[in-house]
Amino acid sequence: MIPPEILRPIQVLFGAPVAAILFGFFVMRRYKPEWTHVPILASCAAITGASAMIAAYVYAGRGFDQPVMYWAVVGDWGVSFGLRIDGPCAAVLAMVAFVGSLIHVYAAGYMKGDPGFSRFFLVFHLFFLAMIGLLTANDYVQMYLFWELVGLASYLLVGFWYHKESARKAALKAFLTNRVGDFGFLIAVLVMIFAFKTTRLQLVYLHIAAGRTQLASIVALGLVWAAFAKSAQWPLYFWLPDAMEGPTPTSALMHAATMVTAGVYLLVRSWPVIDAIAGLPHFIAWTGALTSLGAAVIAGTKKDLKRILAYSTVSHLGLMMLALGLGQVGIAVFHLVVHGFFKAALFLCAGNIAHGLHQPTANVDDVGGLSKHMRLTHASFLVAALSLAGVYPLAGFFSKDAILDAAWHHGGPLALIGMLIAAGSAFYIFRMFFLTFHGERQEQSPTAHPHEAEPLLGVPVAFLAIGAAVAGFFGPNLVRMLSSGWTMVPPGSPVMPGEIALPHTNLIVAGLGTAMAALGAGAAYYLTMVDTGWDWRWRGGFVESVFESDFGWKIVVARLVCAVVSFGNFVGRILDKKWWDGLIEGVPGAARSAGDVVARATQGRLNDYLWWTAAGTALLLGRVLR
Amino acid sequence: MSMPLTTLWVLPLVGAVVCGALGRYGRRPAKLAALSFSLAYAGVVAMIMLLSQSNVAFATINETGPQWAYGISYRLFADSLALGLIGLTAFLNLICVIASWDQEVSAGYWACFLVLASALTGVFLARDLFFFYVFWEATLIPMFFIIGLWGSSGRRHAAVKFFLFTFAGSVFMLLAILALVSAHHGATGVWTWDLSQLDAKALGAAARWVFWGLVLGFAVKIPMVPLHTWLPDAHTEAPAAGSVMLAGVMLKMGVYGLLRVALPLFPELSWGALPILGGLAAFSTIYGALCAMAQTDLKRMIAYSSIAHLGFCLLGVLSRTSQGLTGGALQLVNHGLTTGALFLMVGFLYERAHKRGLGDFGGLAERAPYLAFFFGFSTLASIGLPGLNGFVGEFMSLSGVLAALPILAFAGVLGVTLAAAYALPAFQAVFWAPEGAGSVSAQVTDLDRRERAILWTLCGLMLWIGVAPKPWLAWFEPAVRGLVR
Repeated sequence: MIPPEILRPIQVLFGAPVAAILFGFFVMRRYKPEWTHVPILASCAAITGASAMIAAYVYAGRGFDQPVMYWAVVGDWGVSFGLRIDGPCAAVLAMVAFVGSLIHVYAAGYMKGDPGFSRFFLVFHLFFLAMIGLLTANDYVQMYLFWELVGLASYLLVGFWYHKESARKAALKAFLTNRVGDFGFLIAVLVMIFAFKTTRLQLVYLHIAAGRTQLASIVALGLVWAAFAKSAQWPLYFWLPDAMEGPTPTSALMHAATMVTAGVYLLVRSWPVIDAIAGLPHFIAWTGALTSLGAAVIAGTKKDLKRILAYSTVSHLGLMMLALGLGQVGIAVFHLVVHGFFKAALFLCAGNIAHGLHQPTANVDDVGGLSKHMRLTHASFLVAALSLAGVYPLAGFFSKDAILDAAWHHGGPLALIGMLIAAGSAFYIFRMFFLTFHGERQEQSPTAHPHEAEPLLGVPVAFLAIGAAVAGFFGPNLVRMLSSGWTMVPPGSPVMPGEIALPHTNLIVAGLGTAMAALGAGAAYYLTMVDTGWDWRWRGGFVESVFESDFGWKIVVARLVCAVVSFGNFVGRILDKKWWDGLIEGVPGAARSAGDVVARATQGRLNDYLWWTAAGTALLLGRVLR
Repeated sequence: MSMPLTTLWVLPLVGAVVCGALGRYGRRPAKLAALSFSLAYAGVVAMIMLLSQSNVAFATINETGPQWAYGISYRLFADSLALGLIGLTAFLNLICVIASWDQEVSAGYWACFLVLASALTGVFLARDLFFFYVFWEATLIPMFFIIGLWGSSGRRHAAVKFFLFTFAGSVFMLLAILALVSAHHGATGVWTWDLSQLDAKALGAAARWVFWGLVLGFAVKIPMVPLHTWLPDAHTEAPAAGSVMLAGVMLKMGVYGLLRVALPLFPELSWGALPILGGLAAFSTIYGALCAMAQTDLKRMIAYSSIAHLGFCLLGVLSRTSQGLTGGALQLVNHGLTTGALFLMVGFLYERAHKRGLGDFGGLAERAPYLAFFFGFSTLASIGLPGLNGFVGEFMSLSGVLAALPILAFAGVLGVTLAAAYALPAFQAVFWAPEGAGSVSAQVTDLDRRERAILWTLCGLMLWIGVAPKPWLAWFEPAVRGLVR
């Protein structure tokens, strides 16, 4: 039984989006496609309310884990679906609902007039539903179902403008890369069901806590591999920058604030399993740190506004992985939530700029000195950028400082890498900020007269910027929330991830982090405002090709893909068609020649073959029956 | 209906005769007769299925008839597996008749489909191996004509290849059956062809050969790589409805034969053969996907994807675990629905534009949004998107084989991964890419009401099985319970 005091919000959480999508698909799309967003926005409001109630419920220290239906049952093999409402779920859900609803509002303005308006909203909301399902799942198979569904929504939205070849390619790349990641997820789930006879999170935790970890390393590795694909970590990160081909609201909601964080969320959910494997957390930390650093460097070299932000997203996901790998689960979730706010705000600002220029995307060649024309966007961007760079007292400071502190305590190269990431982040975001908003350079040539966005586009951005500014103050509350709702786990069990509290602010780390941010921002200022031509001067050579190919990794991936495709072509066209089928097709011909020699009786007609077969059968029959 | 099972296979046969007789009065009467008999047939099947669900006495139905020389006797048997597959036959047969409604074809076309349905029903019902073999071979004749007479340009060659290839396979099956029956006679002095009485112990050392003879016959039908090369040609040249029946039901005969004949008679041998058979099945999933990637013809691509999908069925069935067997059995239905829908839609495209190459279209998402929606939906079901039917069967089969021989499960998961690599590019080329030079998209009109109704039904079932497979699994589980190792 779902506790009755929370039953209504749960019903709304799923009922509202399902109803809105069905109504939108069957009624609005048919009769009033340009109004498809109305039921969907209503559903967003309902979801936001419901998730706020759920957050309050969990904050009060309650939670539940309840099977709802049997999905598939055969003999002693079974998978049940249900709901798990606990700290991590409620915290991320609240952020997703709030940020997601704001982006829905934004999309209503941004997508207006697009021929695919109603299709956009239906898929967008389908994604929202799938994300809610992913967050509240209490079973790995159920999670996998929604995991794939968010992937599908991502595919459909990245390829939204499918008449562009780049969009089609990016969509395919996104789906197939995630499919490669899902290889790990599927294996993990299959092994889990084999080893534990269950895929329910709760029971898997208990199995692990009881020391049944023989096959857990395969499970854990599979899950980590899947999370690396979804959360865009090396070696599977490369789909995310290309996914920027989708409309900006998609990039903001799915490829920055929510969907890509599903990988981090999966690992948070699976932390007891992963923690039980020696060395694996360390591996996650290192992968996250190196991905983060590499992506931060590349973000500082990109020209397309959305691509800068995409690499920034990869970098921040890497930071979350770093936090996770260091065992700081609570901090990873904290940064996940804070990142959702500031990155969504930044993306929507980039969207406003492109919208103001009447272009699908903008790059730094097209814009410059926008601060005069777009005051609200400018202010929001500044706040979000300061938050991203980790400037006190904005939200980003608290979450990033906590991660840097964890790395500092860990010591060694990770501490250093953490500091470098702090400097790199500040550099790329302020480079983007100055190039876009301050001072028009002679290399920049705006093609249209930019204008401030209409209120429908401006207001959500402002709200998100406010969130990016103040969310950090709620860090202690969030961590408290994360550790509640675990009532089903025996107290003192090692599987409770919420028990990690925020570290006390370490003045050395805070000071160093701020200094690194200042250094990065200062460098950005110098190279954009003082030495204005720098960004255009270094391009065109070997250095740019190194950055363009992501230090060579893109070339490796392209080679691999090429190899698989040509192998498929070889198997399909030559091995199967020419050699094997050719050989088989040759048999009647050979039989015919042989027949000509032996009896001169066959003409290669069906009739003859049938007679021969019948005769042979009779012969063999006789031998058998004798 | 004192003989419900006999009614099941005789009814469509009567329909075929009526169709043939009405042929001289023009096309319409035959068509109407085909529709009414298909409806009646589906109705009777549905009634028996409901009855078997609600009444314990009908959970399994036996029917015995006269007996002839050498112990050949008319015995029918239906459990939930047989009834499930007959339900699939009746459903797809009806779909095929409705889907071909606007085609200018003679009465023989409709008669062939009804004969095919009758023979398939017979295969699923027969308990006597003599009748099993007769029905088995009888399915070839209508399908031979469907491909050879109403197919596309290369139909003659494809029909002959189909016939010879599968016939050659079933010769081995026949020999195995004969050896089994005569050995049983030698040991007990009793002539019988009855599956429930035959015992493989009588064979002694020859059991191995008989088992592999049976398996060879079934493997050609499934088809298992490397015995598959008849399938792409047959599918490509067959008319759309023919492909639906071929992929939707005829391929299932092979798996059914394994479940009904080979596994129960040779439990130990089949378990020992798991590394070879399972290995080939896992190889089929990867090989089929790789071949599908290289195809430029939509129908050929779907045909190769069928090989991969049947590989999953086999993995599940051979694992001999309850989830594998049930998932494999459900996958038979899943594949019928999904691949059936895809073949139908390629048929609709072909009817309109007389092309089916991946490069011949483009931009259909705008020109034919319904077609794009249904095709995309079915493609997703075909690549095993969770929440749709394909995933359930694949997941359970893989879960089963993981418990039996883990390495095969890993290969199968690789096959799942590869599936998206051929299906989505094909979807994009036809529906998303802009129309290139020589594109025939302009001739493609969107689906009409009749075609949409068919696809809503098929896609609705795909969604239902994907979201709530429990009742479907409960349907198949009792029939395969006895095979669990």
